[in-house]
Amino acid sequence: MERETLILLEKFDQLSLTDEERDAFLKFYDKQLEEKKALDAVDTENVERMVHVMPIMTVVREDEAKKIYSREDLQKGAPATSEGYWQVPRLVE
Amino acid sequence: MKKYETVIGLEVHIELATKSKIFCSCSAEFGGEQNDHVCPACCGMPGMLPVTNKRVVDLGMTAGMMLNCEINRTTTFDKKNYYYPDLPCSYQTTQWFAPICVNGKVRIQTSKGEKDIRIKQIHMEEDAGKLVHDDWTDTSLVDYNRTSVPLIEIVSQPDFSSAEEVVAYLERLRSLLRFAKVSQCRMEQGSMRCDVNLSIREEGETKLGVRTEMKNMNSISAITRAIEYEVARHIDALENGTEELVQETRRWDDVKGKSYAMRSKETAGDYRYFPDPNVMPIVIDDEWFDSIKASLPEFPEVKKARFIDELGLSEYDADLITQSRAFCDCFEAAYKECGEAKEVANWLISDCMNMLNKKGSTMDQLKVDGTALGKLIKLVMESKVTRGNAKKILLVMDEETIDPEKYATENNFIVSNDTANIEKVIKEIVAADPKSVADYKGGKEKALMALFGKCMKTLKGNCDPQVLRKILLEEIDKA
Repeated sequence: MERETLILLEKFDQLSLTDEERDAFLKFYDKQLEEKKALDAVDTENVERMVHVMPIMTVVREDEAKKIYSREDLQKGAPATSEGYWQVPRLVE
Repeated sequence: MKKYETVIGLEVHIELATKSKIFCSCSAEFGGEQNDHVCPACCGMPGMLPVTNKRVVDLGMTAGMMLNCEINRTTTFDKKNYYYPDLPCSYQTTQWFAPICVNGKVRIQTSKGEKDIRIKQIHMEEDAGKLVHDDWTDTSLVDYNRTSVPLIEIVSQPDFSSAEEVVAYLERLRSLLRFAKVSQCRMEQGSMRCDVNLSIREEGETKLGVRTEMKNMNSISAITRAIEYEVARHIDALENGTEELVQETRRWDDVKGKSYAMRSKETAGDYRYFPDPNVMPIVIDDEWFDSIKASLPEFPEVKKARFIDELGLSEYDADLITQSRAFCDCFEAAYKECGEAKEVANWLISDCMNMLNKKGSTMDQLKVDGTALGKLIKLVMESKVTRGNAKKILLVMDEETIDPEKYATENNFIVSNDTANIEKVIKEIVAADPKSVADYKGGKEKALMALFGKCMKTLKGNCDPQVLRKILLEEIDKA
């Protein structure tokens, strides 16, 4: 992995690594990739994509609207609210 | 100047007509007080698990079938990562690896003829919440009512070359999806929104030019203006070097008639899609697939041709009625009841349309039951209820379910055959207004109308107008 890619990923995940941590991660990551190359040798030509690790499919519910929770209950743990809104630090790009 | 061609691709978000949200049972209804339609799942509380709304899959499949798509029988959900508080989980649950529909096409009609627009895919996903930026407290206020409201995103191939084609496509999409009751597609309420991806290249060039995207466009006229502006801006940049074109997301300001750079365009890699392990894959078996296929409506143009060829409607009437599924359903039920296609069309196009216009409602919001309308028309045609009183009954029919004949009887709207009473009323009115009688005899036709009106008013409209006119003329002769 390129160092720039790692720095971009840090930005996405709101992390800030030191140069030493970056060096260690890149070394670890490249080693992992090298080891995974062994998987390329496996023939997957007629193997269906695994869509989920659990053998459970199509968990659906009927389209019925229900009101179970009140706004007040849901906002009990909120650091700040205002007139029914959650209030967060200003976000404008 | 060199010759350029425009290349446009569209991503259209359609809000689905469901009662509840895509992954929880909160109401999906538009409006409501802020954060009134929320629960721990759509607020992103830790540990809450999503359960897919079956109706969303039904409507996703329906949309795909209406747009000639292949349906993925095994369809899965994925996480699209981005940090922004309008989505409380810091990711949007959407479809990336196996969307519900792929490879469709929509035929459009423009001034240059017919053209097929290819659909790359349709995927199901959740909507984001709403942010209000509060200048007074320098904070942002978050409303999660819209969070997790179900959407489909219809992604076209870059097959458009003009604003006219884009408009024709959007109108066609709207018509088909309203017909199939997938969505109301009300752009003013945001239930149909459009992202426009646009680039310019020299004619004959095969490589695409620099692409810009305008997001969340919600008016057809604004889309047209935005496309025209962007085409001119791109050409100006290429011809005169007025600016360097970069791949970016832009915001369209319809008041100023200008687009502004918002942010550099994200690529798929930036979102780091990965399968959502919390939402189980959906497997569509034959029974499910066939039930949706069987529920598809007749296409509007097929219906229109049938109304003209088989029922004798004019092109104009058939065109108007087939603009709306509600009008079509009402028309067909009323026709089945009374057998008078033209008469039903007249009632729908004049009386029902006027009624909806006065209320500010759309054609799809017509509540009149078709069978009841057919019965009402029969009452008028059999001269049991006057047209004027039938209009009053129609207003009630738009509010509640009634049997028109029962309602007419209970409210004294049935035309009276009591000629003795009619004669009595006419005699009294003629005797009381000798001036109008003299005026009519002197050649003033309007005087007859005045006397006729007085009689009809006294009889509360419950009188066959032909009978009334005949007796009135006889009484005037005698006077």
